[in-house]
Amino acid sequence: MAIPQKYQPTEKEAAFISKVVNGKYDREIITGLKKFIDGTIPQDMKGFYSPEEIKAITELDGTDRDIQARMPVKITRHYFEQAKTSKAIQMLVKASPKETYDLDGASDPGKQMSYSPVEGLIHKYELGLIYVASTCSAHCRFCYREELIAKKAVERPDGTVAAKGLAKIGDIVDYVTEHNRLVNENGGRHPETNREHLREILMSGGDPMVLGNKNIAQWLAALSQAGIESIRIGTKELAFFPERFDATFFAMLDAFHASYPQTNLRMMVHFNHPDEFLSKDPNGNYIQHPQGGLEWLPATRAAVQEFRSRPWINMDNQSPIIAGINDDADALRIMQRELKRNGVENHYFFCGRDIVGHKAFNVPIETAWKILNESQKGLSGVEAHARLSITHYKGKTEVAAVTDRPFPGVPGGENGVVIFKLLRSAADAPDRCKVTIVGRNPEAIWFSGYDDRVIMDEAELYSIYGIKLCTAIAAE
Amino acid sequence: MTYVVTDNCIQCKYTDCVAVCPVECFYEGPNFLAINPSECIDCDDCVVACPADAIFSEDNLPDDKRHFLEINEELSQIWPQITDQKEPLPDADKWAGVTGKLEHLIKFSTEG
Repeated sequence: MAIPQKYQPTEKEAAFISKVVNGKYDREIITGLKKFIDGTIPQDMKGFYSPEEIKAITELDGTDRDIQARMPVKITRHYFEQAKTSKAIQMLVKASPKETYDLDGASDPGKQMSYSPVEGLIHKYELGLIYVASTCSAHCRFCYREELIAKKAVERPDGTVAAKGLAKIGDIVDYVTEHNRLVNENGGRHPETNREHLREILMSGGDPMVLGNKNIAQWLAALSQAGIESIRIGTKELAFFPERFDATFFAMLDAFHASYPQTNLRMMVHFNHPDEFLSKDPNGNYIQHPQGGLEWLPATRAAVQEFRSRPWINMDNQSPIIAGINDDADALRIMQRELKRNGVENHYFFCGRDIVGHKAFNVPIETAWKILNESQKGLSGVEAHARLSITHYKGKTEVAAVTDRPFPGVPGGENGVVIFKLLRSAADAPDRCKVTIVGRNPEAIWFSGYDDRVIMDEAELYSIYGIKLCTAIAAE
Repeated sequence: MTYVVTDNCIQCKYTDCVAVCPVECFYEGPNFLAINPSECIDCDDCVVACPADAIFSEDNLPDDKRHFLEINEELSQIWPQITDQKEPLPDADKWAGVTGKLEHLIKFSTEG
């Protein structure tokens, strides 16, 4: 039998990796509902699901509305402890039959497979996204990678159907090296795609922080060696299991920085609600810190401080706005203020994607904009950096404004208009900051909710699908 | 929860599971592999990777294999970690699928 060829690190990479020690972690993960059903769950977790809730979920087992097949149920001890006093966290992590009431949605939201030149790599913009793990310590019910986590087959551009695979170090290094060689030879642009140098890689999954230190170290070193300047790690581990960020992990990062001082690390963290990182008093209220601000969970704050004490590491938070979890301006205001105060930038808030079953989670676009806008009233300018983004096939798009002033003569215009701004064009850059304006539809949860009311489409968010301006439709 | 290596790994030790495990929670004995239950993160990747169908999630573990929960826990604490795939045992294909292999399980190497 042939053993698949493993990536051979260079001498420099190997020297760094040899210094790395794997920590030992016991997340006390509970996967699936079986232990809740048969009562073998730890005593204090009994009652997390009521008998009625268990019955309503298990009744759907084996049907096309099977909740556990849609997304396996998974929680850590740490997250369970926070869930006990938080309705928002319970909504986030507890399975519910309403997830499959409406199965409308896309199996590959954002058509990621059409941007995937190598297994496990999505190449958009000057950024590559790689899947390095196929699970997380716990599972968000609204997960946008449900196809990867639940190992569902997706259709690829060539028509074949297979589950998404993970990236392999050798494949990614080869792709980056070859891509950038062609870009350099061609005066700074790729001869076929017109893309720039690939200089930033986002390690995603799944959650890269479920991997051991050595495994993460191999990726960091190989990507740096291939010329990547900035590495992002997309993780929700600060919420699920902050003890993962222990001394062995930071020792690995320090050894990495000593070997590759030019590489910048960007921790893309994922908090949806302040209940995930703030302490509460016995009455369930946040605790005012005598020196200002609110008390954090000690392990979470310690991890953030460790990151922030290293000037080559940035931290950014991004979060979707999800019904029943954080469609709450007060919670979002507290979250943005506390994150910024502790050195975590507020990057994007997202409108829910059109994943299968998204109707259970999504907040209408205009409502999400109003919630975020309301949450940013009373924040200072630097605290209110976050924008509301919705991911179009063409690229990341900002919901820039929702107006209340009537714009007569177009469908929905009696309520005002919505202004979309294309932030990043996924293929290349020329369409950056072009705008599309549509008549309002307070029910719309996706771009398609505005198909009959496009007023102006400079960004070509609609014309790309052959959808005409409403003035042209009216003239026909 | 955890995943559990059961008797069909004995005398085979294909180690395909080791190549896919994201957290390197496999430990290697002379003719068997064991998963450390507190390090396993329930990703399910090893189940499909195993050519001998020897790995089960704890919840899907057949009743007549339940004792392997304890066996994995015990052996993963005394055996060395294995992080790279290697050649299977020489007679792996002959032993794959043979039932009742537990009597052949070797805890400690007799050499050295």
